[in-house]
Amino acid sequence: MGGQACILYGGAEFSRDIDLSVGIDATNLAAIRKALDSLRAETIFVPSLGEAVLRQGHTCHFRCHADGVEGLRIDLMSKMRGCPDFGYLWERRSIISLPEIGEIGLLSLADLIQAKKTQREKDWPMISRLVETDIAQNIKKADEQKIIFWLKECRTPAMLIQLAEENGELCKKVMSSRPLLVAALDKNIKELESGLLEEEMKEREQDRQYWQPLKKELEQWRLNRNA
Amino acid sequence: MYSELYLNEEQTEWAQLTPVQRYIESCKLWSVYLGLGGSLDPEPDSQSPFDFPELQRAVPADGRSGVYFVRRS
Repeated sequence: MGGQACILYGGAEFSRDIDLSVGIDATNLAAIRKALDSLRAETIFVPSLGEAVLRQGHTCHFRCHADGVEGLRIDLMSKMRGCPDFGYLWERRSIISLPEIGEIGLLSLADLIQAKKTQREKDWPMISRLVETDIAQNIKKADEQKIIFWLKECRTPAMLIQLAEENGELCKKVMSSRPLLVAALDKNIKELESGLLEEEMKEREQDRQYWQPLKKELEQWRLNRNA
Repeated sequence: MYSELYLNEEQTEWAQLTPVQRYIESCKLWSVYLGLGGSLDPEPDSQSPFDFPELQRAVPADGRSGVYFVRRS
């Protein structure tokens, strides 16, 4: 997931770390610990890796020290705001075979986009680019489900207007869950831009609210650790 | 048609690669990035729930800040 997934989906060129979404049953956690050991991965912040904290929505942060991966940062998480449980994420994953690595599971594009709807301003242009790239790659072979997905997630006003124009009936169907599509159908770019900004601000605020109790907990653990 | 209308040349070129090709190209950027003194730790980000100094420890040996974008040749 994260930046590496954005690269594979064509939304980014480079990411300096690796974010992994992990299943948290005991067997899997044991396998993760073994893998981290082989990378000589050091826990660099609270909380320590554990089932309960991952289940709560916390992230566990590591820095590797093994030869060839010195300084590499790995973040592990299992639960992300707005995303379904890991079991569903796993079922919906994309599978890609990478040279010298083999098959890896990749968060589905829809789940990646949802996971990127954070309070951080810098995540939002990434969502736009992921959808723009998906449209550019698949427009000629898109089925109804794909077009509905784009109508729900596209954040590029001119693209959204064209999608709405070419798919008027589908656009009307999706409108109840995304009211700004009215402006897209009307080709009202000003209203559309304002609707997109409103959507972004709403999600960012929801993410801030979601993180509030988790941040409090982090700060407390941090204080305890430094005491 | 969408790519011609909405993506710039560099985005179009990147979008036309397969995921594996993107992975290979991105790997090449690692050595460039590290060679330029880029840090593997995140930069301070007041909007991140993880904006703690412990997570931003590393300062590149040459003291320069991390690189944001590395253009492909």
